[in-house]
Amino acid sequence: MQLLTTTRDALLGPLQSVSGIVEKRHTLPILSNVLIEKHGDRLTLLATDIEIQIRTTAIVTGGPDDLNITVAARKLQDILRALPGDTDIALSLDESRMTVKAGRSRFQLQTLPAADYPRLTVAEDEGVRFTVSQRAFKKQLALVQYAMAQQDIRYYLNGLLTMVDGATLRMVATDGHRLAYIESEIDGNYPRTDVILPRKTVLELARQLADSDEPLEIIIAGNQIVFRFGDVELISKLVDGKFPDYERVIPQNHPKELRLARQPLHAALSRVAILTNEKFRGVRIVLSSGSLKILSTNAEQEEAQEELEIDYEGDGLDIGFNVTYLLDVLNNVSTDDVLVRLNDGNSSALITLPGNDAFKYVVMPMRI
Amino acid sequence: MTRKIIHCDCDCFYAAIEMRDDPALVGRPVAVGGRAETRGVVATCNYEARAFGVRSAMPTGRALRMCPDLVVLPPDFERYRAASRQILAIYRDYTDKVEPLSLDEAYLDVTGVDRCRGSATLMAEEIRARIFAEVGITASAGIAPNKFLAKVASDWRKPNGQFVIRPEEVDAFVVDLPVKKLFGVGQVTAARLERLGILTCGDLREWALADLIARFGKFGRSLHRLCRGIDERSVSPDRPRKSLSVETTYVTDLPDLAACVAAVTPLLDDFQRRFDRLDPAPAVHKAFVKIRFNDFTRTTAECVATTPAAVDWPALLATAHARQARPVRLLGVGVRFVEEADEAHGAQPGLFDEDAAARD
Repeated sequence: MQLLTTTRDALLGPLQSVSGIVEKRHTLPILSNVLIEKHGDRLTLLATDIEIQIRTTAIVTGGPDDLNITVAARKLQDILRALPGDTDIALSLDESRMTVKAGRSRFQLQTLPAADYPRLTVAEDEGVRFTVSQRAFKKQLALVQYAMAQQDIRYYLNGLLTMVDGATLRMVATDGHRLAYIESEIDGNYPRTDVILPRKTVLELARQLADSDEPLEIIIAGNQIVFRFGDVELISKLVDGKFPDYERVIPQNHPKELRLARQPLHAALSRVAILTNEKFRGVRIVLSSGSLKILSTNAEQEEAQEELEIDYEGDGLDIGFNVTYLLDVLNNVSTDDVLVRLNDGNSSALITLPGNDAFKYVVMPMRI
Repeated sequence: MTRKIIHCDCDCFYAAIEMRDDPALVGRPVAVGGRAETRGVVATCNYEARAFGVRSAMPTGRALRMCPDLVVLPPDFERYRAASRQILAIYRDYTDKVEPLSLDEAYLDVTGVDRCRGSATLMAEEIRARIFAEVGITASAGIAPNKFLAKVASDWRKPNGQFVIRPEEVDAFVVDLPVKKLFGVGQVTAARLERLGILTCGDLREWALADLIARFGKFGRSLHRLCRGIDERSVSPDRPRKSLSVETTYVTDLPDLAACVAAVTPLLDDFQRRFDRLDPAPAVHKAFVKIRFNDFTRTTAECVATTPAAVDWPALLATAHARQARPVRLLGVGVRFVEEADEAHGAQPGLFDEDAAARD
């Protein structure tokens, strides 16, 4: 039974946008598979790991038969990747095996019935629904997502707090030691809705969203969220948990304010980082009028020191930080300067961008 | 700021679950634990059994001599865990700051929680009523400004009761408290204190900090604080696990090293299953075996390790066994985890730590 013919690129593109979430090892064998559906010339690919489901559609030519089958996602992807870009591909089904033909290459893959494939469905009528540009959302994700926890026992930190309130969209990520916050305006006026996106969903979105003004439609419905952009629909379950009170830890009145050039600060920190203790990565920052020194020592008693000339008049301060937390934020913002606000050696630092109240980064000091 | 801590503890938890599921047991002395023939001990017993002098951790054989009608049931952790999940879910309805101590027992920090008009006493009553309605067993609770006093208080009206120590009552309450009720004071320390004429916290308060440290080392500092009702430990939901181990007592002693090596395989399987269930598994720092010989002397041997599967367990066993070369009564295997979280915690305070709110 001839199913469809297309080029390698026309099939690989959509396949790669769904196959990223397929887990390598799963207790349910069918979850290694991708669901392939064809109605007329409309091809739908769908993958899920039960928590997230991604669906994409494409237009193809081919036989008149409709198709509804699942096949190993990785294997199909590896085969397509190993073929040249413009190769013509023909898929056909024979009993329970799917054949991929390309020129003189031929692959037969096992299939599992589409009826057994788990699918997430959403009651989206009742949800909060808004639209933003893909570029804007992608940019905001990039400003906060690196601060999410990874495999923390406080499972609600392994995700991104996303909050719609009136005409404001806020996103907050924290691993308990540092916190990144971003807000933006959206069209409409919504009742306050707080949800936590799972880490995997956030990384997948960051990977897939385009740097374009094309729309991204977001629907929060019950314990699920839907993202629609381009040909892709991503449905994700939400993390059921109570995110810590982030407002409480954003400092309001730190008296010492420095404006620092981002690149030189980043370069100095990167060099000093070489001689930090590998486990704690602590650097000492010594502030005095006109000068910012950055120092480190490691277990072998090796030492590094950098000094930046800065425009600061005021009380001195000696404070330690995990250098990774400082480099993370400097790597992910793009302004020429950053503003750093400090209080004393036990208080958090607040890092913001000049002329922009939307972004805030808070980092706790270390005892050095 | 004065904290509000609830210590909540079900009454003879395992035995209560057994009585709930088999009403024929109600009114009879019941113990959950290992059988006497397999050298088992009592894990929990109900109040009817306690009337005969049966206690937790008592060898089942001895318990049966004290109370010949004692019904001894093997533990069924599946059912206990199911009940535990229900109970923890009830606790977490009130606060995220729940620190479980065992399947049924936990500290709750309800400072600033506005349920029940902010009354910790009413919250404790509601929690106990819900455990009774939803799980079908009774619980007791202690309400106090810190963990130490909350735990003492939960014992005060047991079973099925609760007791409140208000901040202004702490001093009067603690002064008459026997030192045996203090954390870390067991039989040995209690006897040492008694020889010094110290029976109550009031007696202990007569002693200067320096004298207590001179006699009890750093534990002296704890004693000095506890006898004044001071305990600043926070309720920490994510207290890192320090080790994981399994052990078993054999019905007949293992005669020699070869028998130990053969017996350790099923033990390691059990250990690995539990290890695999840890998610996320903390980083392993050391592996150890524990041996109790037939004369009840105990020894452990350990080695640095990062994965339990890569450890040469027989070699470790040989090291430990060679120390006595006697028949073996008990074998245990386990790992200790890197206490990175602890160390890092010291060096790197968290944003959401108790007292780390943005200090301006």
